[in-house]
Amino acid sequence: MIFESCSEIRSYFSDYIDGACSAETRQSIRYHLSHCVPCTAELERYQELQAGLHGLARKQVSPELALRLRVEVSQELHRRVFQRFMVRLENVFRPVLFPSLGGVLVALICIGLMLGAGTPRVSNIPDVPLNLVTPPRIQVLAPMNFDTGNQPLVLVTYVNAQGRVTSYKIISGQRSPVLMQRLDRMMYYSQFQPAMSFGQPTSGRLVLSFRRITVRG
Amino acid sequence: MDVALDRTAPTVSDEAALVTELKAGSEEAFAYLLAIYQNPLFNLISHMVTDQAEASDVLQNVLLKILRGIRQFNERSSLKTWIYRIAVHEASNHRRSWRRRLFHEPFSMDDEALQVTAQTAMYKNNGETPYSVYEQAECQAQVKRAVVLREMEGFSYEEIAEVLGIAEGTVKSRLRRGRESLKRKLTARLSRSL
Repeated sequence: MIFESCSEIRSYFSDYIDGACSAETRQSIRYHLSHCVPCTAELERYQELQAGLHGLARKQVSPELALRLRVEVSQELHRRVFQRFMVRLENVFRPVLFPSLGGVLVALICIGLMLGAGTPRVSNIPDVPLNLVTPPRIQVLAPMNFDTGNQPLVLVTYVNAQGRVTSYKIISGQRSPVLMQRLDRMMYYSQFQPAMSFGQPTSGRLVLSFRRITVRG
Repeated sequence: MDVALDRTAPTVSDEAALVTELKAGSEEAFAYLLAIYQNPLFNLISHMVTDQAEASDVLQNVLLKILRGIRQFNERSSLKTWIYRIAVHEASNHRRSWRRRLFHEPFSMDDEALQVTAQTAMYKNNGETPYSVYEQAECQAQVKRAVVLREMEGFSYEEIAEVLGIAEGTVKSRLRRGRESLKRKLTARLSRSL
């Protein structure tokens, strides 16, 4: 690089003292300085100026201001404690929020399906009565048409261990031969569950009551 | 104040750990940061603001901005240049608002405002407008910022460009103008004293 005047070369002095100009420019400046006394003096002034600026006293914070700044920082940080807590909480919950929401939804769907399945299925296996001694019960009563009159017919039946009526005795009510015949037939065709004693069928008594019911159509 | 003089800026490897601690809100990390940067920042701000008494308030605002903005620091630049950029912006804003206040409130009873109003009237007589005076002052301030960062804080051209948000070529030209202006003032003072 060839400089045409001293003023041109002096415009590069700022870059030169910072070492920010190219090697070629640097070499040209050095060559010019080797034979130009005014430019050398000018460069020295730049360097003195730089040294003077470096040596300038730096303004420093007073102890009062330093303390004020520390207090301000501390207060600001403590003001942010709640915000930090919320951010941490969010960070903790964010990764598990979606899976847990999915889990809750699946659980709700499962419970809904279970509840929607309706009433529980009835077991076909007859339950064994837990009572030690149970009376006989009617299983199927043969449909027989008979007239009991105005009085209800009450009778005691004796059921054996096989669930068959061995005999019966009318306690109250009409005792006509026709009625007795029909009662015999009904007892013969009816089925009873025998009385149970300690889980074993045994004979027992059963009180039956019949009454004529008329339904007006 | 004494502690700060014994400390130096963290190295690049230490800086990552420091930034992590600062982001986590560690009070010790902020105390360390304060010890390192409070004096250089105060020096820079003092050279930038017009009213020296307000330098401490500006520094306080700068620290609060660092505290509140550290989470957004993306580590694309160094922590040092990020902090200085905040300081330069804050001091520039303060300086601008201060000057605007003075220029737009000529009837304020404030002594300084009256003084500037008188100066403005004088400039008007010389054919200048308050705006041109303001522009000249801004221009000088921009040059001064580059000189202070280079000569007093020892920043490289690249760092100055990053802090001031300008190209490296602009940094060079501002430094040239600043040094030339300082040299002229120094020469004039020396010639007067002789």
